[in-house]
Amino acid sequence: MPIDDRQPSRIWDESSIHDIQEKARLGRYRIRAFSTSRALPTLEDLTFIPSGLTRVPLEGYRETCSTEITLGGRFAGKPLKLKTPITIAGMSYGALSRNAKEALGLGASAAGTSTCTGDGGMHPTDREYSQTLVYQCLPSRYGFNPHDVMRADAIEIVVGQGAKPGTGGLLLGQKVSPEIAGMRDLPDGVDQRSPCRHPDWMGPEDLAIKIEELREATDWQKPIYVKLGAARVYEDVKLAAKAGADCVVVDGMEGGTAASPDVLLDHTGIPTLAAICEAARALEDMGLTGEVQLIACGGIKSGVDAAKALALGADAVAIGTAAIIALNCNAPLWLEDYEAMGTRAGACHHCHTGRCPVGVATQDPELVKRLNVQEAAERVENFLHAMTLEMQIMARACGKSHVGNLDRDDLRALTLESALVTGIPLAGMRQPLVPQHVASLMGAL
Amino acid sequence: MGAGLTSFDCNTHTTREINSWLRQHSDASVLGETLSVVLLNPDSRHNLGVGLVKPLKILIEGPVGYYCAGLCDGIEVEIAGGAGWGLAENLMGGKVVLHGSAGSAAGATMRGGLVVIHGDAGARCGVAMKGGTLLVTGDVGVMSSFMMQKGALIIGGDADHALGDSLYEGKIYLRGEAASLGADARIAELNANDVAFLSGTFLQAGVDFSPDDFKKVESARRLYNFDTKEKEIWKQAL
Repeated sequence: MPIDDRQPSRIWDESSIHDIQEKARLGRYRIRAFSTSRALPTLEDLTFIPSGLTRVPLEGYRETCSTEITLGGRFAGKPLKLKTPITIAGMSYGALSRNAKEALGLGASAAGTSTCTGDGGMHPTDREYSQTLVYQCLPSRYGFNPHDVMRADAIEIVVGQGAKPGTGGLLLGQKVSPEIAGMRDLPDGVDQRSPCRHPDWMGPEDLAIKIEELREATDWQKPIYVKLGAARVYEDVKLAAKAGADCVVVDGMEGGTAASPDVLLDHTGIPTLAAICEAARALEDMGLTGEVQLIACGGIKSGVDAAKALALGADAVAIGTAAIIALNCNAPLWLEDYEAMGTRAGACHHCHTGRCPVGVATQDPELVKRLNVQEAAERVENFLHAMTLEMQIMARACGKSHVGNLDRDDLRALTLESALVTGIPLAGMRQPLVPQHVASLMGAL
Repeated sequence: MGAGLTSFDCNTHTTREINSWLRQHSDASVLGETLSVVLLNPDSRHNLGVGLVKPLKILIEGPVGYYCAGLCDGIEVEIAGGAGWGLAENLMGGKVVLHGSAGSAAGATMRGGLVVIHGDAGARCGVAMKGGTLLVTGDVGVMSSFMMQKGALIIGGDADHALGDSLYEGKIYLRGEAASLGADARIAELNANDVAFLSGTFLQAGVDFSPDDFKKVESARRLYNFDTKEKEIWKQAL
């Protein structure tokens, strides 16, 4: 093969060379934020097949299409009643600034949906600014206490997260301010590496007892979620449901984080598209569809993504990265500060540095001031509203008077890969692909 | 034990009924007039006396299961028997006394108060403690005080492997020997504050130990921040 002296090797490309040289400099794995950068099969690979002669659509801009949802009614005396099935995922005060957390609370409350504390405990303003607040019970138990359990509207036991299933959280010392350290009972400035195993239970049988403890402590009033990083989804969802969860949250590998070893972001877990299908099938096989509710998250960017998630079997979705982008993450402001970190607006994944130019993922008081809480809250509310309208448009086009009525028959796959992952018929086909089809196709190739 | 006090027979009630009954008495307690109650026939039931955040004295006449006195604040519990996993987990304040041995994760993530185990404790006792004092008169299991952040674990006997792995600012006081110390843990001399703390705790717990017989285990603080010069430590660290 002729050699082009100016052309990088396909094996040792510029990215691989940079990666090796960075690790040679650091002496450890690389750390970054945001989410995986891999190309994955996603919800984008599906399309809706709206009504025609076989089904009657609803008037797209007029007829009622409900979005309300009740979450956690399996065992909880006070399930959550939300105006939209789009919720805000757990993101900690620590990973995010106080202004960011307050804006998320205000924006979500205005849109009639829930927020989630994330790791590190419940800051007083979490409760004050969020009308409906889910309180995370993580392996770290940073800041966790019974008084806040009582103040919460629901409790989410975190087994894992999509960005790094099987590994605990990470908050580098530059973001462990005295207040963050105080809330978490940690020394100031420590590189906080959270545990991945819960301190007081190990397996699913123990989890059932842990869930009972939380139910007893809250007099069986609060919904209890179990959040899983998407890995062995079918089995894990079954075990969580059997353990007594009201809702199972499944976070695909597109899930975001404010800091993670990059190898975990790119090489662990399965995509959200696959995870939703496995989770829905698990609940269906247990006869628990609708009774144990499925909340899907990980890379959901729009109301169309959310509508597709519901059509595949989710009851609700949670957004994290999309919500902070609505706050101003990666906005083209303070451009020189992006450049100083070696990045640019639109490509920044530097939350772990604590130098967020737009005041979202930082604890630097001067940077935090750049995020106006009221304006950011309005953007979050607007974005949630826009997503909800997009869901309604899709549902109406498919002839559904509630977004929750969307189902798999409303979808077709646009790629062979997504058809195989989801079991949704490939566009142009009326039946799902089965192994014989694949064998036949492979033979034809 | 508990003669003449208001009692409740666990044998004939669900866990929810037992905890509701305890909560009613806890709610009825007023400052300076803490009520005392007795639970009979606990029969190793899980989740007894959880989520109580108002004062109450509870005597439990027999062994308990997982998470007894978990998620509580300001209560006093005395148990005549052993306990399953997670005894007094996340305790915020108050006192829990066990006359028997405890399973794994006793005192896990506790943030205040005093837990006294007159017996042995299983693996990972005092795991991720954030405050308070856990006193075990006997031996403790593997990885006790793993990632302990604050507070104190006092061990009257020996400790199994990996004692104090990845400690932060918590302190361990060990009377016997540890099979091994965990990553970044080291032995240190007691100072005057340690001796005063131990003396006061022994008095409060009613145990006959002398601070002179104890050594301290603390964090060497080499895992607090990433350091490329400490490659071998980071390979071992969890």
